[in-house]
Amino acid sequence: MAAPGPGEYFSVGSHVSCLTCLGQRLQGEVVAFDYQSKMLTLKCAPSSGKPNLNDVILINLAYVSEVDIINDRTETLPPLASLNVSKLANRARSEKEDKLSQAYAISAGVSAEGQLLFQTIHKTIKDCKWQEKNILVMDDVVISPPYQADNCKGKEGSALSHVRKIVEKHFRDVERQKSMQRSQAQQTQKDTTLSS
Amino acid sequence: MRMVHVLTSLVGTNCELKVKNGMVYDGVFKTYSPECDLVLDAANIKSPGPSVGLRQEDLVDSIIFKASDVVVVHFRDVDFNYARKVSTDTDNFTDTAVGGRINGEHKEKDLEPWDGGRQQHMVSGSLESLDTDVSNGWDPNDMFKYNEEQYGIKSTYDSSLSTYTVALERDNSEEFLKREARAAQLAEEIEASSTYKSRVALENDERSEEEKYTAVVRGEREQHTLNREKYIPPGQRNREGMSWGPGRQNSPRLVQSSSGPPRPGLHDYTPSSGADQRVVNGGATSCPSPSSRYQSGPSPLPPRAATPTRPPSRPPSRPSRPPSHPSAHGSPAPISTIPSRRMSSEGPPRMSPKTQRTPRTHRVPPGSRVPPGVDFMPHNAPGEVPVPPATRSSSSGGTWSSVVSGAHRPRSPRQNSMGGASPGPSPQTGSTPVEPVNTPRSASSPTASPAPNMAAASSAEVKDSRVQATRQNSPTVNKENMKPLESPPSINRPLSKGPPSMAPDHRKQIDNLKKFSVDFRLQSSSNPDPQFQQMVTKPPQDTGEKSKQLPLDKGLEGSEGPVVPARSNKPDSPGAPSPSSTLCPAPEQNRGPDVTSQGVQTSAPNLSGGAKPEDKEEDEADQMRKSTLNPNAHEFKPRVFTPQPKPATTPTPPRPQGQPSPSIVMQQPQQVYFPQMYPLTPVSPGVQKSIIWKSPAMYHVQMPHMTLSQSKPYRTVPNMTQQRSDQHHPQGTPTMMHPAAGPPIVAQSPAYSAQYFTCSPQQFASQQLMPHYQSQAQHVFSPVIQGQARMMAPPTHGHPGQLVSSTSQYGEQTHTMYVSQGPMPQQYAHPNTTLHPQPSATPTGQSQQGVQHGGNHPAPSPVQQHQAAAAAQALHMGNQPQQQMYQALAPTPPSMTPGPNPQSPQGSFSSAQQAVYLHPQQMQHGYNPSHMAHMQQVSSTFRSPSLHSEYILYEQAHIQSGMVPSHHGNPGHPQMMLMATQQQGGPQPQLAQNALNPIPVSSTAHFSYLAHPQVQQHHQQQL
Repeated sequence: MAAPGPGEYFSVGSHVSCLTCLGQRLQGEVVAFDYQSKMLTLKCAPSSGKPNLNDVILINLAYVSEVDIINDRTETLPPLASLNVSKLANRARSEKEDKLSQAYAISAGVSAEGQLLFQTIHKTIKDCKWQEKNILVMDDVVISPPYQADNCKGKEGSALSHVRKIVEKHFRDVERQKSMQRSQAQQTQKDTTLSS
Repeated sequence: MRMVHVLTSLVGTNCELKVKNGMVYDGVFKTYSPECDLVLDAANIKSPGPSVGLRQEDLVDSIIFKASDVVVVHFRDVDFNYARKVSTDTDNFTDTAVGGRINGEHKEKDLEPWDGGRQQHMVSGSLESLDTDVSNGWDPNDMFKYNEEQYGIKSTYDSSLSTYTVALERDNSEEFLKREARAAQLAEEIEASSTYKSRVALENDERSEEEKYTAVVRGEREQHTLNREKYIPPGQRNREGMSWGPGRQNSPRLVQSSSGPPRPGLHDYTPSSGADQRVVNGGATSCPSPSSRYQSGPSPLPPRAATPTRPPSRPPSRPSRPPSHPSAHGSPAPISTIPSRRMSSEGPPRMSPKTQRTPRTHRVPPGSRVPPGVDFMPHNAPGEVPVPPATRSSSSGGTWSSVVSGAHRPRSPRQNSMGGASPGPSPQTGSTPVEPVNTPRSASSPTASPAPNMAAASSAEVKDSRVQATRQNSPTVNKENMKPLESPPSINRPLSKGPPSMAPDHRKQIDNLKKFSVDFRLQSSSNPDPQFQQMVTKPPQDTGEKSKQLPLDKGLEGSEGPVVPARSNKPDSPGAPSPSSTLCPAPEQNRGPDVTSQGVQTSAPNLSGGAKPEDKEEDEADQMRKSTLNPNAHEFKPRVFTPQPKPATTPTPPRPQGQPSPSIVMQQPQQVYFPQMYPLTPVSPGVQKSIIWKSPAMYHVQMPHMTLSQSKPYRTVPNMTQQRSDQHHPQGTPTMMHPAAGPPIVAQSPAYSAQYFTCSPQQFASQQLMPHYQSQAQHVFSPVIQGQARMMAPPTHGHPGQLVSSTSQYGEQTHTMYVSQGPMPQQYAHPNTTLHPQPSATPTGQSQQGVQHGGNHPAPSPVQQHQAAAAAQALHMGNQPQQQMYQALAPTPPSMTPGPNPQSPQGSFSSAQQAVYLHPQQMQHGYNPSHMAHMQQVSSTFRSPSLHSEYILYEQAHIQSGMVPSHHGNPGHPQMMLMATQQQGGPQPQLAQNALNPIPVSSTAHFSYLAHPQVQQHHQQQL
């Protein structure tokens, strides 16, 4: 498919750059293009920087003002792999539940610190959820407000100690960030004062 | 297409979706439509500022965005391999997965309709033709032709393979012909080789996979069972008793089992089994001697039954038995001490015993042999003195030896005088060790720790000794034994012959038994009198002590003190005890050969049994001579004597024993056993009889007395019983038998009495059958014994001894009359055995055994009952058995036997009988084979007129002690007496209660027994 086939305006694998109507420039490798809906799918560098991940952008060419083909595809396309639909469905459901539970916790009046802690823990341990205002990690460790390391309770063991470490580290990081912000703020103030 | 794939792979990921108006929605990508309408779940409007958190109310369950409204959708950090991995991991090999790899790019295969092989018709015709076509596929030429016609391919195939190799050029040159011949020769050699055949067989084996690897092959299993039986000396022996043919085969197996692994594994049990075997052996050995003379028979019998049962019945006579039993039974410690003593002091003797045993062990399991060895030892001691005693002691292992020693000791004095001190000690030690082993185990179950330990140690020692003895002894002992053996062999051989024949043909066994009976009678008659008398005088004390000891061991009474003393006395009275032991050994030695043969017969009795029995019979006379000539002969006499002394003493001991329910129980069982023993002996020439005897004895003991007292022990010592059961099981699936027998036993006991009277012929038949039962019964007994040993070590010993003694007594009574009775008892034994299995398994088993014993007892009970009725039943029983044993022993030492018989036909005999019984008991306890031998001997003794007289005397003695006079009459009119006794005993046999009846008559001790039997029965029921 060196050249776009019938109905294909973009060859898969080619790199394109486009500018949306909202003034956002997007660039990436063409993964797919649907002529009917004018939808273009680009694969971009991951925002998280992890090598095995990619950001995917779905662009409606109807709202793209400018499209530039940086280079054409150089390699033959790999065959499409079969997908485990059930697994995808499960992922969708679990993601939804997580988000809903998160929203529930937030709406339950959990303090911002608690929410941050929850997010931090959730990064490491997926199996954590809100139980009223308590964070339940792996159905084993309960972190109750004010969500300090001392508030971690559960069966003594590696799980509890592990969660405690996470909590402790979380608050250290938070403290560091705050101090950084302060210093920055101070510097800005100094700068302003100096400049003034 | 790719859009679909990509979007599908993005399902479930979080995304930010911008719409035309610039609003950004955050949500989980749920799905999409062909028009690229997108669906986000849990979507919310993302505010430009930092998002602190979502509010629940801000979330929309799902939002559908029309493709026309979507400007950009940003999926962050998507793993394209997420779904793909799954597919590869989870469903790699399904049709879907395999086909999915191609993911639509492949077209489904075009299906082609099957033409039903029409196309094939051209070539191969119908499918059916394929099935019926015998040819191995196409002929190559057809293939070539087909290919050429269909595809135009022409094969270049050349059968000579000239392309690959060089064709062989044939010529008629001489060299070529030589080479050709050489090649043909090599080919023939190769094809004739076993490896080639085996490999070809592998390839051409038409057996199905299932046949090869899955199918249950009965034959093999049976063989295995046989092997197991062999391994399980007691059980096997018993089983062997069932079928002599197998028994012979088993003999090697038995030897193996006995020698080694099985027993070790079952340490306690093994010891017990060993004890049993020993007992049996002792019985056998004693039997041989008994066969030659009552002494041997009595000795074995007395040991088991005599101590427990007899003590109660007759203190004086019992003492002799009790001592032996006590050592074995009750007092594990005593036993252990004794063994240790024997070991230390008698190290050499043991060796000799071992050596003696070794022969036995060689033939049969060490345990069984060991007991015989003990017996032999005593016998040898008299004749050969030191060596034989040692061997005997070792052989006797623990209980038996002790018992034997007890019996022997009384004799031993004489023997000592005759043979020397060494025999005495060795016998004692040997006997004691043996008893410990046997009894300890049995006792261990009840008392568990001490007795078992002792027993175990003793057993271990015994085993070791046995092994050593077997090895070492084989030469030396064998020699010694050989001498003694010659006489014993005659007995044993007859017996053994009987068993083997039994296995194959009951008739043969019967014939052998008859022969044995004749031989035994002669020998026994002569021997018993003098020895027995002596024995009676001395033994009584010993027995009394022993009986006490037994009770003590049982913990029933302070009688234990006596028991220990008895043992100590035995040692102290090395003269008496040692003599007895020595005497016993001597008989055993005489038996030794016999024992070996017996051992073979008993454990593997069948093996040696066949040939040996004949030799035994012939040898009996020789043995008698030799015994007289050799120290062994003296020893034999000593045994008889020892029994006699014991009887005298026993009367008192019996009472103590009587107090200890166990002891009483034991005694009764012994009596029962004796009867059984007799039957068995007659029935199965060697092993079977012994086995049967043992089992019956064991069972009887357990059943009547044991049931009462033992039941508790068993219950208390479930482990023991279980172990025993295990042992038994392996041997001959005794457990199975036992359970079945269990119930019958009770009822049977009465029946037995009747049967005894009526069924002489049946007895034979039954005996043959009985052997099996007995074997099982033995198994049970062994467990029971163990249980007794542990719980009631004394009782167990007493049981064995009692059983033996009882059997011997019965044998006496029965032999003349009892040949039939013997069988009957055996039959009873069978029930018992069946019952026993249960007992063996657990306390109930014991109870069952007890019941069985009761059943057995009935038959034996006649005698036993008579004795028991006297109140001294246990003691008397023990005494009687002992006496019988002694007599048997006496017979072995021809000169001695005659003397004893004449000397103490009545009183002396009673004592002698007691002593003899002790020996038998010991023998039985220690060695099943020995028991067998004892049984045989006993039977022989019984058969022998003199023996009968002795028995009568014994009975009288028993009566005197407390037994009913009628018993005395019994000898002369065994049936009548038996009937009376049976009636008395009948109740006992029938039920524990029955036993109670006799017991009350006999003494309080009996009552205790009665109580125990009942309890046991209850236990059985509970179980």
